[in-house]
Amino acid sequence: MSQHAPSPADIEALADSLSASANELHDSIMRAIRRNGTADDAGADAGPPVTHAEAQALFEQEVELRQRANSLYVDSARFAVAGLSVPAQEMLRLAAQARETIRRIDRARDLAGIVASLLGLAGAIVGRQPKDAAAALEDLKDNLAAFKADSRKPDDAPTMGT
Amino acid sequence: MRTSLPVPAASGRMLQRLFLLWVLAILAGCASQQRLTDVRAFAAKAPTLSSYTDLSQRYRDTWQREQPYLTPAADAREKTIDAKRRDAYPDFIAIHHAVVTYMRALGALAGGEQFDMDDQIKATAEGIKAWPDAGITERHVNAYAGLTRLLARLVGGRAQDKAVESMLRDGYEPMQASLDAMGTVLRHYDKTHDNERAIVLGMLDVETPFADNPRDRLLAVLAKAHRQDKAAEYRLLGLRHTAAARHVNDIQTMHQALARDYGIAPASVRVASPVNPSAAAGAMP
Repeated sequence: MSQHAPSPADIEALADSLSASANELHDSIMRAIRRNGTADDAGADAGPPVTHAEAQALFEQEVELRQRANSLYVDSARFAVAGLSVPAQEMLRLAAQARETIRRIDRARDLAGIVASLLGLAGAIVGRQPKDAAAALEDLKDNLAAFKADSRKPDDAPTMGT
Repeated sequence: MRTSLPVPAASGRMLQRLFLLWVLAILAGCASQQRLTDVRAFAAKAPTLSSYTDLSQRYRDTWQREQPYLTPAADAREKTIDAKRRDAYPDFIAIHHAVVTYMRALGALAGGEQFDMDDQIKATAEGIKAWPDAGITERHVNAYAGLTRLLARLVGGRAQDKAVESMLRDGYEPMQASLDAMGTVLRHYDKTHDNERAIVLGMLDVETPFADNPRDRLLAVLAKAHRQDKAAEYRLLGLRHTAAARHVNDIQTMHQALARDYGIAPASVRVASPVNPSAAAGAMP
């Protein structure tokens, strides 16, 4: 290990080794407990039996090892996300920008409506149909109003489709 | 009301140009459709990351589940770890929020309907068709041509493709870094989960043999039945951890493929980490 502050990988590795030690301790506790039942058959060389209190004390040590490991896992995971507030902000900014682009596209749709109205108006004028022309003019006014209103619309994002 | 002098030949040429513009815009749109479809498929994967939030909540609530199995001393120790976990939880969730918000906005930007101007273009085209050749001045046609050109530039598939490309390029590094972090965080959840399982099942395994006598028979039976339930719960959770890691990995791979399709040469080529969540990044010392 380096002399510098431990890296997240160092912390994780240390926690892994604590977890592994706890696993080994657990295996030996369980071996000792299993010997309790079979001591008579296996003979004296099977090792000393373990009392309930001893087993509990050993298991308490195992739990403490696991807790120390889990505590280090929190530290290590926090390190992993520590530098991420800037990238996260960048992604949220890009998302807002995309919504703004979509909003501009919606304005372009209004523009398309204006083009259609202009064409209607021109057609009515060319065809010398004052009634149609008046209707087309109204349509154009509506479209222009929608376009202007949309331009003034504050920066809030439209609801996203998916 | 006055009508202008008819100039059929000039207007006919202008109309041809207009149609050519539309055709070009539509063709360019077709070329980029496949990539946009891929982007939408990518964005549609965002909900699979909800497994990350579920597991984050479960991680945050570790103490609550462990508590019945802990001695008072262990419970006191766990309390400080619990505080650390609860403190870190918003940071863990914030990454997910940024990633999913980004993916959804990207998907909306690449959305089939967002840039789809077919209706408007059709209406305009019909308007022109219904337009009698007589009575159109060049000034009119120029005005419409200007508007239509502006429209084509705004709405063409190419514009959409460009917007998506720009978003992918700017978001590439932050997105990859965030997905890396999500993978790392999930690996830590998984390891913490392993220790939680060992504490809960281990407590039952250590205690149950000492209840193996006629007087405590009921206790032993309940303990064994309870252990079966808990073992099943932890086994399912283990599968969810594996699935969550795979989802993050899949999204990272898709994201890299998209970046390649759009010719975004990342400054540093990252390789998605292997699926196995329990494989430690740092080897055992």
